[in-house]
Amino acid sequence: MTAKVETAMEQIEIATGVLVVGGGMTGVETALQVASQGYAVTLVEGGAEIGPGAESRPRGALPDGADLADRVARVRASDRIEVLSGTRLDAVAGLAGDFRAWLGTAEDVIERRFGAVVLATEFAVKPLFLGYQLSPGKAVIGQSDLENRLAEDPAAFAERTVAFVVGFAQNGNPLVMQRVFNSVKALQAAGAAGVNVFVADLKVADDGLERCYREGRDGGALYFKLKAAPQIATAEAGVTLTFPDPVLRRAVNADADLLVVEEALEVTAANADLAAMLRLDLGPQGFLQADNIYRFPVATNREGIFVVGASREARSLAWALTDARNAALRVRELLGDGKRSVPRDKAVVDIGKCTFCLTCYRCCPHGAIYWLAENKPVISPVACQGCGICASECPMDAIQIGGFRDDEVQGRIGAALADVNGDPAIVAFCCQNSALAAGEMAAQFKMPLPAGLRLVQVPCAGKIDLQYILDAFVKGADGVLVMACHPGNCKSERGNTYAGWRVEDAQRILAGAGLDAERLRFATLAANMGSDFRAIVVDMAQKIQELGKVSQ
Amino acid sequence: MNSQTKKVMVIGGGIAGLTAAWELAAAGVEVALVEKAPFLGGHAIQYACKATDTCQQCGACGVEKMLANVVACDRIQVHLAAEVASVSGDGPFTVALRASGSAPAGAGACGAGYDADPQACAAGRGYSVHNGVFYGPDGSFDPRRVAAPADTTVDAVVLATGFVPFNPAEKPTYRHHELANVVTGLELERAKRIFGDVRRPSDGRLPARMAFIQCVGSRDERLGHLWCSQVCCPYALRSALATKHKHPEMDVTVFYMDIQNTTNSFGAFYDQCKSALRFVRTIPVDMYEAPDGAVRTRYMTEEDGAPVDEIFDLVVLSVGIMPGADNSALSRTLGIDLNGDGFFARPDLLNTSLTGRSGLFVAGTAGGPMTIAGAMAHAGQSAAAVLQYLGRASR
Repeated sequence: MTAKVETAMEQIEIATGVLVVGGGMTGVETALQVASQGYAVTLVEGGAEIGPGAESRPRGALPDGADLADRVARVRASDRIEVLSGTRLDAVAGLAGDFRAWLGTAEDVIERRFGAVVLATEFAVKPLFLGYQLSPGKAVIGQSDLENRLAEDPAAFAERTVAFVVGFAQNGNPLVMQRVFNSVKALQAAGAAGVNVFVADLKVADDGLERCYREGRDGGALYFKLKAAPQIATAEAGVTLTFPDPVLRRAVNADADLLVVEEALEVTAANADLAAMLRLDLGPQGFLQADNIYRFPVATNREGIFVVGASREARSLAWALTDARNAALRVRELLGDGKRSVPRDKAVVDIGKCTFCLTCYRCCPHGAIYWLAENKPVISPVACQGCGICASECPMDAIQIGGFRDDEVQGRIGAALADVNGDPAIVAFCCQNSALAAGEMAAQFKMPLPAGLRLVQVPCAGKIDLQYILDAFVKGADGVLVMACHPGNCKSERGNTYAGWRVEDAQRILAGAGLDAERLRFATLAANMGSDFRAIVVDMAQKIQELGKVSQ
Repeated sequence: MNSQTKKVMVIGGGIAGLTAAWELAAAGVEVALVEKAPFLGGHAIQYACKATDTCQQCGACGVEKMLANVVACDRIQVHLAAEVASVSGDGPFTVALRASGSAPAGAGACGAGYDADPQACAAGRGYSVHNGVFYGPDGSFDPRRVAAPADTTVDAVVLATGFVPFNPAEKPTYRHHELANVVTGLELERAKRIFGDVRRPSDGRLPARMAFIQCVGSRDERLGHLWCSQVCCPYALRSALATKHKHPEMDVTVFYMDIQNTTNSFGAFYDQCKSALRFVRTIPVDMYEAPDGAVRTRYMTEEDGAPVDEIFDLVVLSVGIMPGADNSALSRTLGIDLNGDGFFARPDLLNTSLTGRSGLFVAGTAGGPMTIAGAMAHAGQSAAAVLQYLGRASR
């Protein structure tokens, strides 16, 4: 079924400059890493400074003793890196290997061509006073305020009692927790009389955090793990926190001179604008990456646009710099030496059939289709991932995917059914990213499979035309399975959703033709689950056995 | 940068080693990938999918895909059932390999296809079809695909030797070794790979009451394990939720200290968990045999600390990530330090792929606990660091 034909290749030239958006430490490291691979980098930062001055991680979330300034000096010294501070990203057009960006400085708008874009945006640090119905004051301060005061005048905390509330106004994460642990130790070093931490869940799932927590506790800090935030009464001289004691089984009070309220590290409002400008799928919490394993670690739904650090998750600087180095690898893989060899027939538009309805442009999950001035749609062979959603959605059948042209797939359906003798024939259209691998696993591990089952490979379930499904029945199938990836696991984000819709449409057509709609089923599964594949096909075979063969 | 003629050894064929090997090969470097077990993929290749109706982003299928990449790559020379005997030189390094003793005996369970014992065979190959290419028809290694252990000279070495799951025998009151229906998270995963579902080892039946116990071996002062393993909350919650989703009638309880996050979708995911599962914020202390293969579990209630007994049909111990068994020996062989917890030390706070020794790099859980996604990112970073090192070395 995997008939791979030698396809004609063509050489294309692509731009090799790289745009890095954001001049914090993650952006700086990205610029250094990409430049070290030999590419010219333009580093764009809205503010006046780059490096520590543009870094949004508060000091309590930065590693102690790490030399951040040295990296800025290396950027400044590099002849491959152009730094544009005080510069906005006004607009981006084009695709991988050929992006055009308009960069707005105080005086001018500069237009540049880039092969790839790396987004290294920063966090918004948001105090959560409202989450505790508090307002900042003498006895109630935010975590950043505490960190600054501890750095400037630690002696001011001697003999003071400090309480923290964390995890009740947000789920939090190890980055939020690390700041509290660091402050607890700093307070102990400063001679604080007592430290009480009121916490929902200790988020310790990062390097060294459990140890850091234990050190503070061994130093005398008390941690109260509560289901709900303590009641907080504020006065001029301090705060009183009231909470249930599980041992005494009654409410107890704890006084503190100072209450420190947690902060969230969130995406900035700019993320939504960037997503719209770059046609990126916005992920949970507003990050610029969908929650999808195909995006691990720095990819987006668009080829050539990568996300690092705070653009994609709230984690430590060490992990953000890990992203920067991964982004450099992806840039290198994409841009190479500026020459790419691409298959001529990856996705081809028949201009004679095209009615310029824009369906392909709208349904492409990778933003790989663009429009030339003379009203001609073009599918970029660099940006296209070959899923074929456009080909199946095109109302004029004007798009063909290399290796999966309609005539080829329909030929394979016929060939697959040709050797089924007697047994109920089931055609399973299998996404090559999940069901096909699971099916191969079931076969190799000798799981018993129905004798009349035939697999037809597709690049993505989004390439399963309504016509293919009907064609399978016309060519003698007694049942058809459409097997896709689980929602949230589609390499092309929505191919499985399109496939599900087409199955519903086809079921209505089958019912209209007098066939039981149960002869067509939609199922989702993962590449590593041969046992799930077996369960789905065996269940289907039983159903077809009950319904009997389709009488021709 | 010209790295065409460079060669790197990656020690360890789990997700970190696979990723490092693949990234290096993609950049034009020749790779010798050394794995102690008779299959590639390490622990992560053995995990089952944890989707409910939707993908829960566990990353297990991503391991499968990375293994497929590596198997198809002709720049990666694979040594299976091999381990490092000695290392000499200071870049380039000459690494002597020897057999680890895990090579299949030949016409055994996997001989002549898989007919003899498909389950044993699948287990022996990490449950992945992609490992099939390494074996001949008689079930022994195919010499065209598996290189014999030999002295190998390389320009750099990536340590991706991974972890060992906590051995529950170190917490004897859980009686993992005596009670059939007390299993580890990894044992549950293997059963799901074979049966496609949760089964009690004692009788193959579906449990009606199931419990997950978190932090087994992790965050444990008495054991001296002052680290969070980072993966157990994600795997246990995903597994519990997927099981409950498949069997809504089942009671699923999670005993925990603090719940750790999964992905950026954690908020919505945890809300789903809280409505589907029962959470008890205490860690059980003892397990006893109960009638019909059940497990009587004793714990102190979170409300008042009073001891109670509760019966479960299946108890899953969420065992954590422990330093690799060979870490001390490898530390001596390679001349790089271990940290106080027994993982490979990573002295540079801003690049945790660097060891204290030039030309030697660490990737994945050899340096400390991390998730599948984390190990992939970390191994990418290690590959990038190797490429920079090779670039410098060639100038």
